[in-house]
Parts: sequence; structure tokens; C-alpha cells
Amino acid sequence: MADLEIKNLHVRTEDREILRGVDLEINRGEIHALMGPNGSGKSTLANTLLGHPSYEITEGTITFKGEDITEAEPHDRAKAGLFLAFQYPVSIPGVSVANFLRMAINAKREEPIQVKEFRTQLQHAIDLLDVDRAFTSRHLNDGFSGGEKKRAEILQMAMLAPDIAILDETDSGLDIDALRTVAEGVQRLHDEQGLGALIITHYQRILHYVKPEFVHILMDGRIVLEGGVELVERLEREGYDQIRQEVGALAAGDVGV
Amino acid sequence: MTRFARRSAHSQPVTSVSEAGNGAAPVKVKAGRHREASLYHALAGAGAGDGRTLNELRAAALEVYESSELPVWRRSGFWTTTLQSLELDSLTLDGPQERAERGAMGVVPAIVGRAIPDRRRAGRIVQAGGEVVHVELDPALAAAGVILCSLEEAFEEHRELVAPWYSKRLTIDRHKLEAANAALWTGGVFLHVPAGLVVENPFEIVYAIDRPGVAQYGRTLIVGAPQSDFRVHEHDLAEDFSEYPEDGRQALHAGALELYLQDGARCRMAQVQDWGRGEVYDVSTRFVAVGRDAYCHWLPALLGGHLVRQHLELAVTAPGGDMAFRGLLFTEESEHLDVFAVDLHETGPSGGDVHWRGAATGESRASFEGLIQIDPGAQQTHTYLQFHSMMLSPKARLDAIPSVLVSADDVSASHGGTVGELDETAIFYMQTRGLDRPAAVRVIIEGFFEPLIAELQDEPLEELVRAKIAAKLASAREDIEAYATSR
Repeated sequence: MADLEIKNLHVRTEDREILRGVDLEINRGEIHALMGPNGSGKSTLANTLLGHPSYEITEGTITFKGEDITEAEPHDRAKAGLFLAFQYPVSIPGVSVANFLRMAINAKREEPIQVKEFRTQLQHAIDLLDVDRAFTSRHLNDGFSGGEKKRAEILQMAMLAPDIAILDETDSGLDIDALRTVAEGVQRLHDEQGLGALIITHYQRILHYVKPEFVHILMDGRIVLEGGVELVERLEREGYDQIRQEVGALAAGDVGV
Repeated sequence: MTRFARRSAHSQPVTSVSEAGNGAAPVKVKAGRHREASLYHALAGAGAGDGRTLNELRAAALEVYESSELPVWRRSGFWTTTLQSLELDSLTLDGPQERAERGAMGVVPAIVGRAIPDRRRAGRIVQAGGEVVHVELDPALAAAGVILCSLEEAFEEHRELVAPWYSKRLTIDRHKLEAANAALWTGGVFLHVPAGLVVENPFEIVYAIDRPGVAQYGRTLIVGAPQSDFRVHEHDLAEDFSEYPEDGRQALHAGALELYLQDGARCRMAQVQDWGRGEVYDVSTRFVAVGRDAYCHWLPALLGGHLVRQHLELAVTAPGGDMAFRGLLFTEESEHLDVFAVDLHETGPSGGDVHWRGAATGESRASFEGLIQIDPGAQQTHTYLQFHSMMLSPKARLDAIPSVLVSADDVSASHGGTVGELDETAIFYMQTRGLDRPAAVRVIIEGFFEPLIAELQDEPLEELVRAKIAAKLASAREDIEAYATSR
């Protein structure tokens, strides 16, 4: 059984059904890319995996480390080892990055983390992500640039050491330096800590720096194509439209039209 | 750039509250005539201290006290603060003799030790009921000329330092409880910081009510001589009244504080007010005068009381004065809080910066009226007033009423504010980091107040205020949750 198993997931919002039967398996130590055009349901999947209250699961299950977490509270999923790097990280005025990290780490532990241990971990993460030390005393995401917000997401990920992280369009809006830093951070967490990751992206750019072993293409709420890194190259060559036509024909064949 | 603002004008209100100025006979109005809206007025003028002796001032105030009704403050339609439920006649002054009779003379109430962190301080004075029960002062500071003692003692031992300032800017006849304070105060606090002295640690002033059935008339006079630099922390607190059912259920604190900062003096003054869950009424007036090139950072934290009305006035009285007027308020259950904060500029150039934040839970009601008043001739005044509120309960009410009265043309004065609610996206964000929902809510509210708390620049005091806010959130948890999930 895979660490994270998504089976036949159907999700709707108030307006409409967005995911229409997603199946996906992710293990620790694996890097997956989930690609798809705008509106295909990528962010819905990311938010649903962490239990966002605006998304209703109408069918299917999410299992994590053998436990059914389909109905679990977001913080329980986080404590179990899931992490979501937000596409649009939320600013938390009045709370410094360091204090927030301490709270988040302590939420996972019985005993509060020792000051010294926390500092060591924080320094390690700072080095990994090439951020300024002063960064951690600023209020979380408050007045941060786009690149700083994404770095802060990866900094949190490094500190919380999840088993599986979902990165929701972490690459969007980043300049090339920030993109490289973020991507290398993910790669190193994978190499050093055995992080499993689901990198959700619209573009191929980030995948030049983090090499996925598995690539899934999401369209209209379903995974329509799966493969290895060669799929990224094909997408780069052909674009989503070509693939849509192809799988559209396949899908039509499925139902015998 | 010059901005000119005139956003409100005073009408002449008719209320039971005497609006007569100093020295004039108070207008007596029959109870029940409260039909008209009353705008709150700045003191903005000379106080009662005009050379009369203390006894003469007490006698004049006593006349007002005896001839006036308990006050009602009413604004048209939407806000009334009334003291009609206060059983003033059943309360005692709790002076040394009464305290001696119950074996409490000179005894520091236990709550002082429980509620206030033990920390390095320059000195501490504690008034319990109507008696100063404890005075301590760093001997080095005493040797340097600092005076910290009861105001009663100060009138006897240091009359020349006290008399010129006493009630210099505080009136004694605006309403019954102001008059009661001026007429009946006992104990009291006097702090004098001599010229040029810089004191790192805070002077602590504690007003404690240790039994119900008490009317505490607290009177504080602080004078910062030229170029002095010091901190004042006032703590207002009460014991849990439910332990003393035989003494009734109500108590009153009618306080008056005046702080005078002479040329170039600097003071950071904070007040942590939390009267607890007893039926404590607090009707107080505090006036801070910032002299030439002087500076005051003033932060009242109004965190609890059955019914509280505070008139807080921070005035720049000489050119070059500057101030930061901060405040936070948090009401819960059925508490009623009425704050009138005045940012007064009597001369220019001067600077002002008023920034308050408030939250309300339960069925509590809080009103913050903030007035910027720039007097004629106070040119080159630049000031800004902002109030931010956080709604946490459908039944709570939190009103912000800014107003600007400008009588000079080369000034800038403006105001702003926000009304916030809990941000569900932020809560989800924190949940994905492992914080449960109540913890996430707490982070948001603490973060909301944090910009002000951090300005205290005093770790023990900051921790105390944070802990009080956390405790309030914990007790209102279900209420907040019901509100958040109902939308």
C-alpha cells in the first residue's frame, strides 16, 4: 500500500463538480509532478488533500499511512505528515516566522522543542534555502514579495519535515533565482530526508530543477495521462491542446461512441 | 502639504451631567432629562487647581458631589453609559480604619502577587481600597531625589512639589463621580522624577480592590521634571468577589490621574486594567500633559470591568511636544466599556499618533470615541488617529467614533480604521501547519494586538498582556467558534 492513496476522488464546490474520479498513489521518497491546464482541478486536489472546508468530497477516499483521512481535520493531516505549500500563502500579521515555526513544531510534539534544538534546525533550514537570518523575525508573509512568500513556504516545509508535501504552483510568479532556490530546496529535502512530493504546476520550468520520477496530467477533473519525465518533454513540445485531442479521442473510444 | 479637516461641531448638550467649567456653579438637572445626544468633550482647559488649598478643593468638590445625580452619558440613538445600577450609597471608602477593623490594614492583597509578575522595578506603590498598603523605592533612586509615596503624605512632606500640579488640568465638577474622587480620595499616589534622571525600570502603581462593597477613589499625580526619562506601569485589579458574598457584589473605582511632563521629559506609561469578574464599575479620568520637546508613549490596556468609562486625554501643551497614544481593549461576557480618547494639541509644532485596537466577545459592548482636537494657533501639528476592531461574536458590539475638531489651518489631521473578522483562509493555512482551530484563532487575535503589545517594549508586561488576551480567548472559545462557523 502506498503512503498516500487517493481513490476515485470526486470533489465539488457549491457551484460544480471539479474532480471527477482521481486516482493517485504517492510514497515517501518519490517526486511526482501533477500538470494540467488552468481550471483542470489541480488546486482543488491540493486543498482537498489537506481538508479545506470549502471542498466537499462526494465520492472516493484518501488514505494516508494506512489510515482513512478522508474526513480528518486539516491539522490532524498535518500532524500525520502531510504538508501543503500554498499557491497564495496567507499573511499572518503580528506573528514572526520564527514564532510561527515554533508553534507549528510544538503542535506536533508532546514536549515543546528546546530553544537550542530549534535554533539548530532553523539555521539548517535557513542555509538550505539561502534566506537572510532577519527573514525569520519578520511577520509571516506580511509584506513579503512573491519570492519571499514561496521561500517561506519551503522554509516551513523544511522545518516541519513532512513525509509528503504538496506544492501547489509554488513555481508561479517566481524569478529564475527564486525558482532555482525553491526547487533545489525541494530536491535536497528529498535527497536528505526522503521527502515525497507532489509538485503541482502549469508550466515545465520548475521540472528543469527538480526531476520527477512520475508525471500525471490532469484535465477536466481526471488524470488523463501518466508516465515518466519524458511526458514533461512531450508536453513542452506539443502543448496541452494536442494532448487533450488525443485523450479526448481515447475517452470517446472508452464509452464506445 | 496641508490638510484641513473639520468633521464635527459641538452642539450644546443638555444632560444631567454638569458641563459647567471650573469654578462656576454646576447646573443641576433633574434625573431623567437625558433626551439629547451628548458629544464627549475634551477637558482642554485649566483644571480646578487655581491656588485653592486641598481642603478648599475638597469642599468645593463635595458640594458638587452632594448636589448631583449619578451620571448618564448618552449619544443619540445608539449609545448610553449609565451608572443607574450602581448602588453608591451602599459602598464604603475602605480607609485605614475600616481596613484595620477587618484586619487588613497594611496588608497587600494576595491578588497583587498572583496577578502581577515579579520583576525588576524602580519602585512600587500599592493602594488597596482606600489605603496605601505598600511603598517600595530603589534606595539609589531615592538618593537621587525620586519621590514615590502616597499623595496624602506628599501633601504633608513635599507640598512645594505637589501643590503647583495638583488638579492643574483636572476638573472636579463635570459629574458626580469626578467630584467624589476630588472630594473623598484617600491614599493616592505621588511620583516625582527629578530633572535629568533616567530610570530604566518601571515604577509600578497598583490599585487593588480586595473586597466588594468598596468605593475606591484613586488619585495619582506624576511629575516628570525637565529631561527626566522614566516608565510607569499602572495595574488595576480586583479579587474574586464571590469569596466575600456578605460584603455585597458591587465595587467602584473612580480614578483620576494626571501626568505632567516638563521640558524634554520622556515617559512611557502603560496601564493594565482588569477588574476581573466581579461587578466593578470604573469611571476614571486620566490626563497627560506633554511639555516643550517632551514625549509620552501611553498605552492603556483595558481588559475587563463590569462597566467602565474612561476619559483619556493626552495633550501637547508646549511646542515640540510629541506623543504616541496607543491602546487596546477587549471586552467579554456582558461587560460595558466606554472609552473617550482625546488627542489634544494646544500649541504647535506638535506631533500625535493615536492607534488603538479592540475586540469584543460574548454580549459585551464597547465604544471607542477618538477625538483629535487642534486648538487655535496650534500650527504645524501633524496627527493621525486609527482604530481597528475585530468582531468575534454576533451579539457583541464594538463601535468606533472618530472625530476631528481643527481650529488651525496649517496642520494635518486625519483618521482611519478597519473592521476585521476571522479570516478562514488564514485559519486553514495554519491548520495545514498542524495548529488546531482554536490555536489558529488565537494566533490571529494575538497577531491583531501584537503591533501594540510589542510597543510596550517591556518583556514581562508584554507577556502579561498576551496571557490575559489568551485567557479571554480561551473562555470565549465556544462563542467565537459558533460565530465563525455560522457564516
